[in-house]
Amino acid sequence: MPPPRLIFITGKGGTGKSTAAAATALALVRHRPVLLVDLEQRQSAARLLGLASDGAETTPPRDELSADLTAMTLSPRAELEAFITRTVPLAAISRRMLKSRTFGYVTAALPGLEAFLMLERLRLLAGQAALEDRFVVIDAPATGHALELLAVARSLKQLAPTGTLNRLAHAVDQFICDGNRFGVLLMLTPAELALREALAAVSTMRSEGGITAVTAAINCVPAALFTVAEMMKVEAIPEHATLARRRRDLAHGASRARRELDRAGVPIIELPLIFAEGLNSVALERLSLTIAPALGLDH
Amino acid sequence: MKPAFALDHHRLLLCLGPGGVGKTTISAALGLRAALDGHATSLMTVDPAPRLLDALGLDTASPSLQSVDLHGLGARRGGRLHAMRVDPRQVFDRLIERYAPSPAARSAILTDRIYRSLAGALSGVADYMAMEQLLELTRDPADPSQPSSRVVVIDTPPALQALDFLDAPRRMLELLGSRAVTLLRPRGRAHSSDSERSPFRTAFSVLDLAARMVLGAFDRITGLNLLTDVQSFVRNFDGMYAGFAERAAAAQALIRAETSAIVVVTVAEPERVAHTQEFIASLTALDLHPAAIVVNRITTALPHESDLDGADLPPPLLRKLRRNLADFAALKRREATALDNLRMSLAKHSPILFAPDLGFEPRTLADLATIARHLRAPAELSRS
Repeated sequence: MPPPRLIFITGKGGTGKSTAAAATALALVRHRPVLLVDLEQRQSAARLLGLASDGAETTPPRDELSADLTAMTLSPRAELEAFITRTVPLAAISRRMLKSRTFGYVTAALPGLEAFLMLERLRLLAGQAALEDRFVVIDAPATGHALELLAVARSLKQLAPTGTLNRLAHAVDQFICDGNRFGVLLMLTPAELALREALAAVSTMRSEGGITAVTAAINCVPAALFTVAEMMKVEAIPEHATLARRRRDLAHGASRARRELDRAGVPIIELPLIFAEGLNSVALERLSLTIAPALGLDH
Repeated sequence: MKPAFALDHHRLLLCLGPGGVGKTTISAALGLRAALDGHATSLMTVDPAPRLLDALGLDTASPSLQSVDLHGLGARRGGRLHAMRVDPRQVFDRLIERYAPSPAARSAILTDRIYRSLAGALSGVADYMAMEQLLELTRDPADPSQPSSRVVVIDTPPALQALDFLDAPRRMLELLGSRAVTLLRPRGRAHSSDSERSPFRTAFSVLDLAARMVLGAFDRITGLNLLTDVQSFVRNFDGMYAGFAERAAAAQALIRAETSAIVVVTVAEPERVAHTQEFIASLTALDLHPAAIVVNRITTALPHESDLDGADLPPPLLRKLRRNLADFAALKRREATALDNLRMSLAKHSPILFAPDLGFEPRTLADLATIARHLRAPAELSRS
């Protein structure tokens, strides 16, 4: 099965969302052009790939591989302004409206509106990507904010029972439920808390969001090094035994996560813990090669 | 063990930081530390996950302060710890009940569509309500229903921006007091008794009228009926502005009080450090300065490679141990580089405290006590 047109990458803080977004973009760009979108304006994934983004679409670096890789950021405020400009026919009035604090008040009173328009933008990006046969990778906010974001389509449908917004809300809802167009990559680490949160998030996305394509990526999985018998022998040197246990505990945490996610019927990708001082392009390449087959891409 | 950052000087510790750095754990450890040092301490968390209360052995469903059993932890005389989880919606409802001018106004607000969506799981409201709860805790020492505390520690919601929490009262006030309120107010309505003090009586301008018409048009296009809803929302809130304004001013004063301290929590990872630096810069822009930085999950010192020389173990195993050491040494260097970057960006007088990585997630009161006891400045760490 080909990867979804748009891949939305989220997870608890510190689980490696941006790294995974960069690696996913690298894996996909070997096949088709990729648009890397940052929803938090931190551009961490773009920076990892050496894409100097300044808010608009930027030119990629001179690397042959990433000639088809572009990065951009999306902001809720800009989406709102674009929507008003589209909806309100007179430019003078829409400009005035955006400047007025009334409008700030109204949007503050209806905070889902900006988030919803962001989702609508993602839907349009995915549609455009299908026409051009390229992929979109989203470096999304942390799980809590991402779930709020994904929930707005449904709540807005109820708030606006008729009219343009209602129609849009229907379209967005269909979009995030369509596994061919919208897929979530949910990041976690081998820690137990991260696993609990991930399982809860999967269940919320499926039951309340109706999202069908959710894949979990267990990040920071160390290569197992010591056999059980070796672990016993190492006890002779206590400090080194402690360090060996640290590695083993991480590996155990990862297998537990794998078991439980498997039981919940969630497809899993395992990403290796990179034992390196910094995350260089070699490491990123390695991660992208791990992700590729799980996305249904062959080499 | 003398803490580098004296809790004794502060009555309020506000823990801020990016998501996923262990703010809740560090808040609990700071609270526990104050309690073990002999202070009557209250700990508030806004973390919707009940794990902190679980670790403290408390009822996760209860919305009020509960006493934590410190038995066996060697607390000094007078040391007590109470903890609670803030439910933003409940606090908001309570606030409405307190300030609503009449029972009718109260029930109108509590059932209002916009109020319901405002008071829901939205981050900004959670921030504001945590602040409100904090005021209740710190300003009513005489309230017999609340245990009085010498130290209050608060764990703030995960923030996209540093100021989300600190700025919440001002934003809420702006929302309620903006000219929009004037504009949206149905014309010809009698002013409430509160209107002398409220900013609602600003005159209409032609521009406002135009915006009002546009909003109406916007409603017709989108199907949102915002104008009507916002009008009724504003009408319901009328008369409560003064109450909210007073609370917001009190909250601002509290944050800036001599006895309040902002504690920024982070971890020694390059990406988080960069985020934390932005965080601190935005605090500085508001003339707020962290009283301490807590770097969480500092890994333990690595063993020496020489321990392996001449060890009576099979050579393949020794090779594996050397590789394991080299692997973790690379991660330790990464941590050290991140710490150096953090230090360089901090004012010299900002103390840094390290909290140890236990190697597992703190799950019990004893785990939290271990972190609390080991919270110390880097220099103390290397001496020990």
